[in-house]
Amino acid sequence: MITLLFFGPVADSVGQRRIEIEFSSGLRLGILRQQFAQDYPEAVRWVSFVAVNGVQARDDDIQIVDGSEIAFMAKFSGG
Amino acid sequence: MKAPVRIQEEDFSQDDEIAALKLVSVRMGGIATFLGCARDFSEGREVSAISFDAYDSMALAEMNALRDEAIKRFGLIDARLVHRVGTVHGGDNIVFIAAGAEHRAEAFDACRWMIDTLKERVPIWKKEITPTGDAWVVPHP
Repeated sequence: MITLLFFGPVADSVGQRRIEIEFSSGLRLGILRQQFAQDYPEAVRWVSFVAVNGVQARDDDIQIVDGSEIAFMAKFSGG
Repeated sequence: MKAPVRIQEEDFSQDDEIAALKLVSVRMGGIATFLGCARDFSEGREVSAISFDAYDSMALAEMNALRDEAIKRFGLIDARLVHRVGTVHGGDNIVFIAAGAEHRAEAFDACRWMIDTLKERVPIWKKEITPTGDAWVVPHP
């Protein structure tokens, strides 16, 4: 399984904080990004960063392994 | 003693944080601190409360990395960072940063760098709750 995580404005827009999806071999970050944009066109407007297992990821070719945690995140506004 | 880097709902004591920092070494000649507080007015409107959400595990890891980087980069003796999550009201504490060094210059520089970098790198989000509705804060470029 892959866990998609949402926080702040992204979570509000998606309507939930986490979604579990089936893992499939050969899965890459770009595919997940595209799927997310398709499923949540309103939420994707907020997304500025993506993290894979707690580390920011910019390369869509990153291979996603089973059990990964993918966070779709808006610009940070802490402090 | 509490960990030097924390994310927590409850308030913190600046005195306790500074005392913990001073316990690290008597070679510390300068401590610079930053305290971020909740305002009751923002962008021309009243703010009743501010709600913070965080990707806790990543935020804590980033704050620890920030502390390590600041110690190395500015030659600090030690540093502490505390950020609250949940809901706060006007005047409440939000974030506390303390940089301890042998001399004031590196303490000031490191403290400024840590709060500026925290805002850029730590996954925490702020929502302003106002009498006319709630709005997530989008940082200015």
